Amino acid sequence: MINWNSLLLVAAVAIGATVSVVAVFSLGMRFLTDARHIRSEGKKKDVAKPSEIIFRTAAYAMFTLCSMALIYGIYLIVPYFHLAK
Amino acid sequence: MDPILVVALVVGLALFFDFTNGFHDTANSSATAIATGALSPKRAVLIAAIMNFVGAFLSTAVAKAISVSLINEGVNIGPEMVFAGLTGAILWNLTTWLLGLPSSSSHALFGGLIGAAVVFAGVAAVNIPAMLEKVVFPALFAPVIAGVAAFLATRVAYLLTARTQASRKATGIGTGRSSFKSGQVFSSSLVALSHGTNDAQKTMGVITLVLVAAGLQSDGNHVEWWVIIAAATAIAVGTYMGGWRIIKTMGTGLAEIKPAQGLAAETAIGATILASSNLGFALSTTQVASGGVMGAGLGRKGGQVRWSKAGQVVTGWFFTLPASGLVGAASAFLVLAGPVGLFADLVLVLAASIAIFQISRRNRISHSNVLSEVEGASEVIRSPRQVRAAAAKAAKAASTAKKTTKKKGDK
Repeated sequence: MINWNSLLLVAAVAIGATVSVVAVFSLGMRFLTDARHIRSEGKKKDVAKPSEIIFRTAAYAMFTLCSMALIYGIYLIVPYFHLAK
Repeated sequence: MDPILVVALVVGLALFFDFTNGFHDTANSSATAIATGALSPKRAVLIAAIMNFVGAFLSTAVAKAISVSLINEGVNIGPEMVFAGLTGAILWNLTTWLLGLPSSSSHALFGGLIGAAVVFAGVAAVNIPAMLEKVVFPALFAPVIAGVAAFLATRVAYLLTARTQASRKATGIGTGRSSFKSGQVFSSSLVALSHGTNDAQKTMGVITLVLVAAGLQSDGNHVEWWVIIAAATAIAVGTYMGGWRIIKTMGTGLAEIKPAQGLAAETAIGATILASSNLGFALSTTQVASGGVMGAGLGRKGGQVRWSKAGQVVTGWFFTLPASGLVGAASAFLVLAGPVGLFADLVLVLAASIAIFQISRRNRISHSNVLSEVEGASEVIRSPRQVRAAAAKAAKAASTAKKTTKKKGDK
């Protein structure tokens, strides 16, 4: 009848993947606004502080992770990439 | 009647179904992007249409329509039976669109075919365990899985981007949550692409089935190139037309969605569909999408789901299979009566479709008013809560107006 194992697996993977991707994207957004905060606190508004650069880089690393998840999604959608020929 | 003519009619009807499938399901990928303003309505449906068109070509695996496995082996599925089944699916799709209800196009197709099969070959033709496994149970779980995923993701997104009031006031820098819109463009496109690879395949499968049954194609192991192009075009044109009524329900009717919630909902929809199609548990895109939107709606603090609307949507799901099945069965009786019956059926279906389009013009919803609740035409999609709020507002305005006139009178 119903395959509970595959249902549970689908639920676990779907929930895990969603939360991870959104968490990573949110962290990216957080780091970007952190970087803006650091700049606004500094005296010289036109010079980037090292800590600001770190936050900005971290943010872009997060967005890169997200784009990798996106590419994996496309990989899963297109059967040509993963089905045995 | 000339068998080739029957096949041509079935192919035409199948493409029309594909078209309704497209505009019925535009909402799944674009409603939340439109609701948050991540994409303008026109741009959102254009992207969805392109993704659906491309998606239709991407999948090289031949669409062995699931509908076939719902009908027991040994039952001869001829063009006439598919014809009757398609009419049921089309009319149900158009009716739910008129009511602004997101419902599964695949379930409508299954229902129509099952109804027709029962009339043609008796109740024994239906594989009931397969129906429970492939239609009924997934309908129960799909929205729950996507809903939980979107709910948790929304919570996490708000937690990670939270800022204290003090820090926001001190720096004038917000939480950056509106920037989630940029991510939404990608997540909604991914959902549209996966929709194209799945749904256009169903039409291709049905057409191939009929071509094989009529002896016009030697085996069902490949899809003719013209079938692929026609199915891809029909679903893309349908998607571009945009089922604005359903987009309105999904984007603003079920819950109020802000960018972070939109991203959470779309990611949940995409992840749930991909996980289910790759781990062998087929779920309905529409039900996944509705669940995702509701989950995201509940995830934000103070966010709420309009349960009365949600109730209507879920009720629609329960009726999808029986209702399209009944129309499919009625059609099958007509078709069994011979060429005249088939012709009469075709005329009836076209007349009903035109009638539904005519009724829809009374309160037209398009890209221009899909988001504005005030523009009078939206009565159908208004929730009772909104109606009450509007009434309260009007009453308040009236009472203040009275007071001011009274004051003037006192002077």
